[in-house]
Amino acid sequence: MKCPSESPENGLLLEYCSGRLAPPAAAALDRHLESCPRCARECARQRAVWNALDLWEAEPVTPDFDRRLYRRLEAGRSAAWWRRIVPPSLLRPALPLAAAAALLLAGVWLQRPAGVRTAPPAEPRAQAMELEQVERTLDDLEMLRQFDLMAQKEAEPRRSM
Amino acid sequence: MPQRVNNSMGALAALVDDTELMLRVREGDHASFALLLDRHRKSVVHYLYRMVQDHALAEELAQEVFLRVYRSRTTYEPSAKFTTWLFRIATHLALNALRNGRKERNRESMDAESGEIPREYPDRSPSVEQAMVREATLDEVRKAIAALPDRQRAAVLMHKYEEMEYSQIARALNCSEGAVKSLLFRAYETLRARLAHLVEVKGGVR
Repeated sequence: MKCPSESPENGLLLEYCSGRLAPPAAAALDRHLESCPRCARECARQRAVWNALDLWEAEPVTPDFDRRLYRRLEAGRSAAWWRRIVPPSLLRPALPLAAAAALLLAGVWLQRPAGVRTAPPAEPRAQAMELEQVERTLDDLEMLRQFDLMAQKEAEPRRSM
Repeated sequence: MPQRVNNSMGALAALVDDTELMLRVREGDHASFALLLDRHRKSVVHYLYRMVQDHALAEELAQEVFLRVYRSRTTYEPSAKFTTWLFRIATHLALNALRNGRKERNRESMDAESGEIPREYPDRSPSVEQAMVREATLDEVRKAIAALPDRQRAAVLMHKYEEMEYSQIARALNCSEGAVKSLLFRAYETLRARLAHLVEVKGGVR
């Protein structure tokens, strides 16, 4: 077999040392190692690294990990109820449009003439509306009175007959 | 009887693969999400811990991983192995956290909270000397791993501790299998050089 140390980047020795090499290939490498001190040394170094890494145990997961996660999930669900109504596909293009519309409105507001900016006082406008209503009511009453008179005139000749 | 029912339910659940569980989560089955969490919580937290070397930050990132899994359930398509997808998310978050320098900021804020929760450490009862040697060795290992470039570190951790195949690591790191082999070759070469002095005593690790 071709000496793995001559092309170490193919990872053959690494696979062998990590026990992932297929049995036939591992057996072939076993035989090679007996006659190749260079590969045997590389394997010893790699195994030492492997064993050192084995010593490093991670700390256990804290007992309330799930509780915290479910709390965050729940918070996310209640906070994003409106996202279910407005899909993100619609929301994404709508945001720049909304921003552009807001800018446009702000521009129109700032550009309009000074006289228009101040709204007319609300009280005189209300008074004008009340007067108009009174006039309409008086007109209606006058009309009803006319109808009443006409009805009386029609009734009189019948009585005389 | 309920115990036996629970056991058989657990045995049945063990037969269902991750992809199937995730498809059930997509249909709104919260119990399947709990099963996935139970299966992968430990490996994700440990992987992230070894990536960022800060337990509180690792757990925070792991929570973010599972939150993202849950949030993307409706768009989940089983195009890759579930664990590959999971570790792709985890790696992405870890690399971002390292890049943004969040580690230091979180250490300050989270260490204060960590005092609230008692942690259990395995009791190996070694002698004082053995414990000191072990701690020194571990310190060397941690430093050697931390000194690796981020992507090399991620590749080594997935290869060594998660026993992932080249193809899975490649998907998680979004690169080719050839690139993974190259990352691993360079990473282990660096580790062999840095940890060489641990080999000398009795032909093994001190």
